[in-house]
Amino acid sequence: MSIEVRNLSKQFGDFAALRDITLEVKSGELLALLGPSGSGKTTLLRVIAGLEAADAGQVLFQGEDATDQHVRDRHVGFVFQHYALFRNMTIFENVAFGLRVRPKKFRPADVEIRRRVQELLKLVQLDWLADRYPHQLSGGQRQRIALARALAVEPKVLLLDEPFGALDARVRKELRSWLRRLHDDMHITSVFVTHDQEEALEVADRIVVMNEGRIEQIGTPDEVYERPASPFVYEFLGKVNLFHGRLHRGRAWIGGIEVDAPEHTEAEELAAVAYVRPHDIHVDKVANALNGEGAIAAHVSHILSVGPVVRLGLTRDDSEDKELIEVEISKARFRELQLTRGNQVFIKPSRLDLFPAQIH
Amino acid sequence: MTAIALPVSPLAHRARPTEEPVWVRWTLIGLAFTFLTLFLFVPLISVFYEALKKGWEVYIAAITEPDAVSAIQLTLTAAAIAVPLNLIFGIAAAWAIAKFEFLGKNLLTTLIDLPFSVSPVVSGLIYVLIFGLQGWLGPWLAEHDIKVIFAVPGIVLATIFVTVPFIARELIPLMQSQGTEEEEAAVVLGANGWQIFFRVTLPNVKWGLLYGTILCNARAMGEFGAVSVVSGHIRGSTNTLPLHVEILYNEYNFAAAFAVASLLAMLALVTLALKTIIESKNIQNDKGKNR
Amino acid sequence: MYTFKQHSVLPGFNLALGFTLLYLSLIVLIPLSAAFVRTAALTWPEFWNAVTTPRVIASYRLTFGASFAAALVNAVFGLLVAWVLVRYRFPGKKLVDALVDLPFALPTAVAGIALTALYAGNGWVGQYFEPLGIKIAFTPIGVFVALTFIGLPFVVRTVQPVLEDIESELEEAAATLGANRLQTFLRVIFPTLLPALMTGFALAFARAIGEYGSVIFIAGNMPMVSEITPLLIITKLEQYDYAGATALAVVMLVISFVMLLIINLLQWWSRRRSALA
Repeated sequence: MSIEVRNLSKQFGDFAALRDITLEVKSGELLALLGPSGSGKTTLLRVIAGLEAADAGQVLFQGEDATDQHVRDRHVGFVFQHYALFRNMTIFENVAFGLRVRPKKFRPADVEIRRRVQELLKLVQLDWLADRYPHQLSGGQRQRIALARALAVEPKVLLLDEPFGALDARVRKELRSWLRRLHDDMHITSVFVTHDQEEALEVADRIVVMNEGRIEQIGTPDEVYERPASPFVYEFLGKVNLFHGRLHRGRAWIGGIEVDAPEHTEAEELAAVAYVRPHDIHVDKVANALNGEGAIAAHVSHILSVGPVVRLGLTRDDSEDKELIEVEISKARFRELQLTRGNQVFIKPSRLDLFPAQIH
Repeated sequence: MTAIALPVSPLAHRARPTEEPVWVRWTLIGLAFTFLTLFLFVPLISVFYEALKKGWEVYIAAITEPDAVSAIQLTLTAAAIAVPLNLIFGIAAAWAIAKFEFLGKNLLTTLIDLPFSVSPVVSGLIYVLIFGLQGWLGPWLAEHDIKVIFAVPGIVLATIFVTVPFIARELIPLMQSQGTEEEEAAVVLGANGWQIFFRVTLPNVKWGLLYGTILCNARAMGEFGAVSVVSGHIRGSTNTLPLHVEILYNEYNFAAAFAVASLLAMLALVTLALKTIIESKNIQNDKGKNR
Repeated sequence: MYTFKQHSVLPGFNLALGFTLLYLSLIVLIPLSAAFVRTAALTWPEFWNAVTTPRVIASYRLTFGASFAAALVNAVFGLLVAWVLVRYRFPGKKLVDALVDLPFALPTAVAGIALTALYAGNGWVGQYFEPLGIKIAFTPIGVFVALTFIGLPFVVRTVQPVLEDIESELEEAAATLGANRLQTFLRVIFPTLLPALMTGFALAFARAIGEYGSVIFIAGNMPMVSEITPLLIITKLEQYDYAGATALAVVMLVISFVMLLIINLLQWWSRRRSALA
């Protein structure tokens, strides 16, 4: 089942939570809504579920308008950040809840309910906990039960609000890959909200990056990481170095380097910023090795070795700016260069993205 | 609601999914109001209505006649003795229970609450059993010509009994929730016991203390059953305000009975107003602490 | 090593506890024990006869019956009032919220005469029941009315905080799973409120059993019909039947203690429920 969102807007008092959001979730896809807190991602999810009504815009399921449909009738599975398990019911009854509250005509027989619940508990690998109460379970177990409960009503779409947000790091990683596998088996259209870029990159088929109630970029994890559409996405996803320069008629000058900027042919003497990932910077001890002109001289001020990579903190020689340039090189390359603190090095971006400087 | 495929949905107010439909909401509000009107609002209004039914002159006369004045004096006296004593008791009990761990603490907490669960009539009776003519101390008291029962001391004792728990039960949970860290810090900084109490503990619990005191006072001035048993209903001498109401009522002097009752009703309203103000202060305090 | 008191650097324990125990003993414990000691002077058959005469039995029936009915009505309407106060917005809400405590603050004698005036045959409310052949004041129904007034705040004030604490997520979860509002209330909200509701019920019931001031005016106090047990104690006292009065007092005390125990258990259950997230 596909989900379509058209021109959604939502205000909370003076705060615009959603501004004209349009989005399509393809059938069977696992989509992440990624953004900082206050970006509107949870509101968007709740509007899709019908827990929140938008001020304007439409929500369509499989092409049919569901905007005014009650949450009960939308057949969505919703998993809450803090699980929202019913504490007065056993795990079994929690999972069975959605089946038991159906109108008599559509309610499965008791035996059938029993079978279905057991099946789901097996699916989340917790069938041995059926008679326990929620408070007797760990956070990770509770979240899996919350998922089983949502799946029990055979939802057409699955919506998860920060599903791993309340868990500790190790459990979060486990559940993440488990959710991915579960999705691969079931192929149910799923949307999950997260503020954790690593989580989104690792689990999702596509990522929607949101900021201040707007969509900044939609794309596969590779696309949003490799080709961020805006400075915001660049800075939100992963580490990035900023180099200041200028743009003029399709050419840009950053430090001593001159590069083509075909997207900016109309620019006339504009201040520009180049965004460069730490691993997209060449480092060498001699300027010549970086073939040609434009290398920036710098000094090594920090060296941090993290597993297979080494992170260097560099200060530029040509500016008073004390801001560090962060560079990531492989351990092998590091050994080859034999760097120590205080060494002079020359650097050159191997890949950069240019954006006109934002005027503040 | 219909699902018309408009490009932009109308700005119609949509109920949140966890809200009841409007008609259910107003039906419930209506039911609750009907109940509260019958059992709460109308009785309260009727006190003032009946009190003023025969005009202001009758009203003023009823509350300024000598018996009424002496009843007011006795009520104020009893409260003026009972409330401070229970205040000291409440602070001592809360200090011991909230700031220390000792055996039998839960039992002690339950015992403090005991007077709440005892029928007022029984509360009065037990003092008759001790101080009455046939009581344990009766003969000795008679020999020395000391009157407790059917006299002011009995009324004061009964009043103290029924109001014992009020201040303690406000303070204990409050002081427990605040823990002992601040007091321990004061000890480390060299403060002595009274300094700790007046400079650290008391400022932290002042609103709870006031709250308990106000409730304690309301009950002390309004107690009827227990006081009734020990008073002997001697007009002008052992009559408190509530007992005076009863006497007037039984004499079919309804206007005067309600006039005196209206004084007590005003006391209740003032108590509720103060209580509400303190509660809102408390909420603000809590919010301040969370920040 | 098990010690009476755990070590603490804070001063004043002995003084505070000593004063507390002394005060409590003098004011509460010794006087209360007087009732039991005095009753012990009676033989068992004497005691049993004193507390089981037909008139006394009739008073138990009225006291417990009316208290139970009043507590039940308060459970239903107290829940309703708490719900309306927590969930809905309407004009005058703050005032209503404050006035709910009126029965705590209003002296019982005042409540007694006011209710009697209202529910008598010619009263504001009573006049509408009179033509239907229903007499309220001076009948057991009057006792029930007074006890309902007295118990009103208990259920409201125990349920209100629990209702405020229910996370909206629970109700949203129920809605996404297809439950309608009634199902959500019955299956999710009500079970959460139940311990508090029962605590409120027990508190209202316990209070009603011992109530005196508000009842005697409206009850009519006819032996065998509308005479409550506390009044019977006073009647016996006025007839200088100290033994009989004390025996009845002991019965009332034992019931109070049992209720206190039940209430403590309910509160413990209630706290445990809300502690388990």
